[in-house]
Amino acid sequence: MKRLKVAIIEPSLIVAEGIEAVVRRLADYDVVLNVRTVAEYHLRRCADVDVAFVALSHAHEELGAVQKIGIQTSLTEPDVVRGVSTIVSLYSTEEEIVKALGEGVDTPTTTNFSDSHELSERERDVLVLVAKGYTNKEIASELFISPHTVISHRKNIVHKTGIRSVAGLTVYAVLNKLIDSEQL
Amino acid sequence: MNKIVHMGQLVPLSKEMKLFELIDGYPQLLSIFSRLNIVLPFGDVSVEAMCQREGLDADLFMMLCNMHLDPDYRPADRSLRAEMLAGVVAYLRSSHGYYTTYMLPHVAQHLERVLEHCDALSQRVLRSFYDDYVGFLASHFEEEERDIFSIIDNMSTTLDALFSMLEAPHGDIDDRTNDIASLVIKSLPEGVPTPLRCSLLDHIYMLRDDLRRHSAVEMSLLRPLVAKYQKSVER
Repeated sequence: MKRLKVAIIEPSLIVAEGIEAVVRRLADYDVVLNVRTVAEYHLRRCADVDVAFVALSHAHEELGAVQKIGIQTSLTEPDVVRGVSTIVSLYSTEEEIVKALGEGVDTPTTTNFSDSHELSERERDVLVLVAKGYTNKEIASELFISPHTVISHRKNIVHKTGIRSVAGLTVYAVLNKLIDSEQL
Repeated sequence: MNKIVHMGQLVPLSKEMKLFELIDGYPQLLSIFSRLNIVLPFGDVSVEAMCQREGLDADLFMMLCNMHLDPDYRPADRSLRAEMLAGVVAYLRSSHGYYTTYMLPHVAQHLERVLEHCDALSQRVLRSFYDDYVGFLASHFEEEERDIFSIIDNMSTTLDALFSMLEAPHGDIDDRTNDIASLVIKSLPEGVPTPLRCSLLDHIYMLRDDLRRHSAVEMSLLRPLVAKYQKSVER
């Protein structure tokens, strides 16, 4: 099984270190980043992160294609936060943290990346339309799929190609002869 | 903490050590000398004496050296002084010049050697992609110098606004630099000789790592110094 990469974004060093210690004991996870702020996360992110423990106060911030597990450090913080798949608290047991990790990476929005770095036929279709400048909505309409599925394909494309920018994906499409320059 | 062999013992870098020991132990620091336009040779002087002669803050110089060697190095807050702010801004400005006049053209040269082995279409799209990337960096640097550094010079905005400006675009820079590396690794035509491909990648990764350190200086040195400077002005 592929080892999943975990990031921790938590202003309290003590809390962050505690979570890291628990996760490090688990066989299927690697802690690749332990930072205090989302800005620092973006600055230092050097590996594709699969799941992030993030302080509830920062959980609304954009982390890209990463599943979020909220860290509740105060009883006054909400139990439900948009974009957070599950929540752990200061009182969670090790078992509860393991369970949260399982839920965090198994939610329906999670992309199950294939080990193969070859793009599937559908991913190639999406890539070509991305390269032509289509929006997610336009791609969904063109290919008769939901925008949610388009986003999922795009996550897979980014993971497999290692390229995030539209300009870079366009070059990828040309170099791999998925599109010729006249179509751009 | 970065360490160096001094008198047969492993000791942390310090401004008291000889300049030769520093460069001999960590030749990668020479790029800092280039950025700060420090002219060698200096004879057998200490780092502190060299800084004094060049009008540099020796403590700040050591912080920059440590941050350059170790991306995770963060100077202790108590060691930061508001007077260092001008030196950091000057360093960041000169780093921008170092990227635009040295590092980016160097990567471009290696890219051109690789492109000689590619078909016309690949040459065109890759060259255009790299030119766009250089343009993107240049406009980021310009914006930073025009907006952020000039604001720091005049202190005419709130810290929150300043910090959000500092944070905004750095993830994009890292992503776009990685995109170039990914294209070279995964999509360049097979006919490109491996040594040329590897040499280009070496330079792309050097540039990426240097840009990351540059961002770290902005986040971990410039930010706290701006806060300290503003506090000192308010007193």
